[in-house]
Amino acid sequence: MSIVSTGASRPDRWTAARVSVVWRAFDLQLAVYAGTLLVFGLAMAYSNTVTSGVGILDGASVFLRALMWTAIALAVFLVATAFDYHWLKTFAWPLYLIQIGLLVITLAIGSGVGGSSRWVSIFGLQFQFSELAKVLMIVVLANYLGSRIGRLGSLWALLGAGILAGPPFVLVLLQPDLGTALVFGAIVVTTLFMSGASLRWLGVLGASAVAAFPFVWTYVLADYQKARLTAFLNPLADLQGTGYQLAQAQIAIGSGGWFGIGLTNSSQNTLGLLPVQDTDFVFAILGEELGFVGAVVVLALFVALLWRVLVAGWRSKDPFGTIFASGVAAMLLFQLVVNVGMVIGIMPITGIPLPFISHGGASLISIALALGILESINIRQRRAEW
Amino acid sequence: MNPYLDGRPVPAPSRLRFLVFGLAVVLAAGALSTRLFAIQIGGAMPYTALAATTRTVVEPLPSTRGVIFDRNGKPLVSNTASYSVKIRPADLPESRRVQVVNTLAALVGEDPASINVALDSNTGSSYDLVRVAQDVDPRVAGLIAESSDALPGVQVVVDTRRDYVLGPLLSQVLGYTAPISGPELSSLKDQGYLPDDLLGRTGVESEYESVLRGQYGLQTVERDAAGRDIQVLRTDQPPIAGSSVKLSIDVHQQQLAQQALQWGMKTAGLKRGVVIVMNPQTGEILALVSLPTYDDNLFSQGISPSEYQALLNNPQKPLVDHAISDQYPPGSTYKLVAGTGVLADGKITASTRIRTAGSLSLGGFRFNDWNGRGFGLCNIYCGFGNSSDTFFYQAAAMLGIDRHGYWGKQYGFGAPTQIDLPNEAAGTVPTNQWKLDTLGLPIYPGEVYLAGIGQGYVQVTPLQLLNAYCALANGGTLYKPHVVDQIIAPDGTVTNIDPQVLGEVNTSQKVLAIMRRAARNTVVIRHTYNLVDLPIVIAGKTGTAEFGSGARGHLAFHTWFVGFVPKNPWKTLSDPNGWKAVARTDSPLAVLVLAFDSNTRGNAATEIAKYFFQLHFNIKKDYRRPDLLRKVSN
Repeated sequence: MSIVSTGASRPDRWTAARVSVVWRAFDLQLAVYAGTLLVFGLAMAYSNTVTSGVGILDGASVFLRALMWTAIALAVFLVATAFDYHWLKTFAWPLYLIQIGLLVITLAIGSGVGGSSRWVSIFGLQFQFSELAKVLMIVVLANYLGSRIGRLGSLWALLGAGILAGPPFVLVLLQPDLGTALVFGAIVVTTLFMSGASLRWLGVLGASAVAAFPFVWTYVLADYQKARLTAFLNPLADLQGTGYQLAQAQIAIGSGGWFGIGLTNSSQNTLGLLPVQDTDFVFAILGEELGFVGAVVVLALFVALLWRVLVAGWRSKDPFGTIFASGVAAMLLFQLVVNVGMVIGIMPITGIPLPFISHGGASLISIALALGILESINIRQRRAEW
Repeated sequence: MNPYLDGRPVPAPSRLRFLVFGLAVVLAAGALSTRLFAIQIGGAMPYTALAATTRTVVEPLPSTRGVIFDRNGKPLVSNTASYSVKIRPADLPESRRVQVVNTLAALVGEDPASINVALDSNTGSSYDLVRVAQDVDPRVAGLIAESSDALPGVQVVVDTRRDYVLGPLLSQVLGYTAPISGPELSSLKDQGYLPDDLLGRTGVESEYESVLRGQYGLQTVERDAAGRDIQVLRTDQPPIAGSSVKLSIDVHQQQLAQQALQWGMKTAGLKRGVVIVMNPQTGEILALVSLPTYDDNLFSQGISPSEYQALLNNPQKPLVDHAISDQYPPGSTYKLVAGTGVLADGKITASTRIRTAGSLSLGGFRFNDWNGRGFGLCNIYCGFGNSSDTFFYQAAAMLGIDRHGYWGKQYGFGAPTQIDLPNEAAGTVPTNQWKLDTLGLPIYPGEVYLAGIGQGYVQVTPLQLLNAYCALANGGTLYKPHVVDQIIAPDGTVTNIDPQVLGEVNTSQKVLAIMRRAARNTVVIRHTYNLVDLPIVIAGKTGTAEFGSGARGHLAFHTWFVGFVPKNPWKTLSDPNGWKAVARTDSPLAVLVLAFDSNTRGNAATEIAKYFFQLHFNIKKDYRRPDLLRKVSN
């Protein structure tokens, strides 16, 4: 039996007779919700391609690229599901080194807008390694915290997790990519919280973060970063500059109404008014073309997906699984809230992609990897029943 | 028993903490939905209705740039409406950029590369308009404006273009306006400059930029979804038009000076020349010609890279105002300095006679007089009039290099004249300290000799030289030369730019009168050939200065003439040689001519100056001697 044979050596010997039982534990709901979100993403890619006047099968077609990434993501998902996640614990440290290596490579040879280095070009396709690094970060933290479960009441657990997350955090900040760095932060805090770390020390951590904020604001953040962070408070103040994106996004969303103006009909999209429309601000076009109903359906799908992710974590008898699921949920929730919040003007502009919907290959593959590992955790929990 | 953690008991995940997380998910989704509802259904944002139709923005309202008149009120530049094509990069999807740029390039007849360069060199925000083509044909502009669907982000804007009415005649004086560059913008942003702004460059346009520009206002306009202005809703802050300026330059005199210089250059086969005409009583520049020149309109209409490169590569540097930005050895014209110095310092009097010779020996070198024979025993009138080199070697040696440098600086050499034009060179007055500072060596005695005849390290700009002779002509006052006489505010208020005094030459009127008489003697004794035959009294000095290396077997040289005429210059029976006339300090006209690399039999500069005097005073008889402009055969 080939598909599960990867995990054949440990910790139990699996037999072909049990395959059907094993696959019954596969969380079909999770896959369906994720798949539906993927369809929304493809629909937006299609709309973007049509309205920008590029042929669907043209080389520059966003839709064609999205299809290709979707196919790769599906393969990654299936392989990750079949792969016995226990190996991840064995290889946690090498994976940590790979994660740091990817980020160093990005800094060294990456390219990006305005002197930043965020993408590495592979066969002509831009790939953002920091997306993959997020999932690897969750694996490393889950392994670290999982093996110390029950002993996490002290400050040392917090410090250990912080030290682990420190180098990737700094490397991403150097790109500079404030948004992804914040996702790392959310993952660390959430995994600590969910693994039972001391609330007292978490509170101290939070308080010191607040205390450090003025220092970071004054000495670390560049002017353009500050401008983006504060523009959402009053987009009208700088309509020609930073506020422009926000105003455009809200014009788009606001014109959506109940049911939207229909796929491929976005005036903002057609006229190319919305900058970076195929990535960070895609939710604005979704809101315009599919309306309030479409946007809420997407939000509901995210809530359902998060529910299934948390259920997977709850059911896992392996602390690694619990913490891994928490990390994935934290990543998805944080990106959802910050991205959609940014588009509708209640969050600062940080450049975080919306999972499934933003047309980024790395983002999609990283999520597929995370969800695949989650399914792998799901189908390898029920041994007690047999 | 849990199979994980090597048999250690594993606590179940905290139910409470899972509940908290779940609650956070629900709350977040609820908050996002609520806000979405407010925007999409509740119409919370004021933009809702605007998306498909219009939006209002506040945009800068350019002020009208002031114009430039000559001294008689003749307009030299006018503002003409022209169409510019601009792109807002944020509105141009990257996926369509290549197609849009190519289409646009074909429409406006430009190279796609230059449009791409304009787009990529934009350092500002991607929401700022970038000018990619200017002075576009109105029909093409109409076509572009109507096809905004095919050309997203592209706009046609009515710009004001500067038209330089007289073309190349005054190009170096006027300068031109051209699009602002990235580095310039970053330093001028605080003063309200926009990324697609035009900025005065070189000449009066640059020097008086802040006066001419005025102050931009603000207006609220309604824009359609494509970012095109539909209508102006209100003026929030009216622009303040720029002031106009009135030049001291007289276009007629400028034309005469150019005519004289062009004739001389053509006849003598010269490649470069300068004529400056100035009023010694005020420092006003009446004409300033530097040839070859260029046309400011090339720049204001958007010069092509190849045209620009051609101007840059021209060895005669047409973009440089040779009258103020280049420095040359002044040759014998500089004998004014040593002459004034020895008289003022009491080394000689007007009657002291110095032995001149064919050459002087110093430190094993021979220092020749220009005629190879010398002029015998010579007083200052003889020495200056004949331009005896050996006379002035000795005069400079009497002063010593530092005292000689002192008198050079008294006449304004070695420092910019502070004329109201940019890029003025300072020139060099050699002194011991100067040579120690720049070359780390003391001055050698031979170099004192050379300084006395305006060779060696001495460097002057043509304007400095003329200004020095103006001081001689007006009784010792060194004025700050200027090309702008008046600033006329938009409401008609006139601000006169009064003559400004840089200093007084530190000597008596007697000494200056001697030097003026010596300058008149130059003409009277026919050192300047038939210049004396003109019916007017001219005093002045010629110069022939060697420069460069003798690559062609002899040293290249250029010739100078600098001189002045008294008020009422016509010769009278009571003063046939004009001695009384040059004793006065009322000269209203001084002229300088530089004939660059003029390997002619006579002094080409003097011939050009003579022709200018003829034209200026409308002297019917032609005294020109084209034979003197023939090349010396090698």
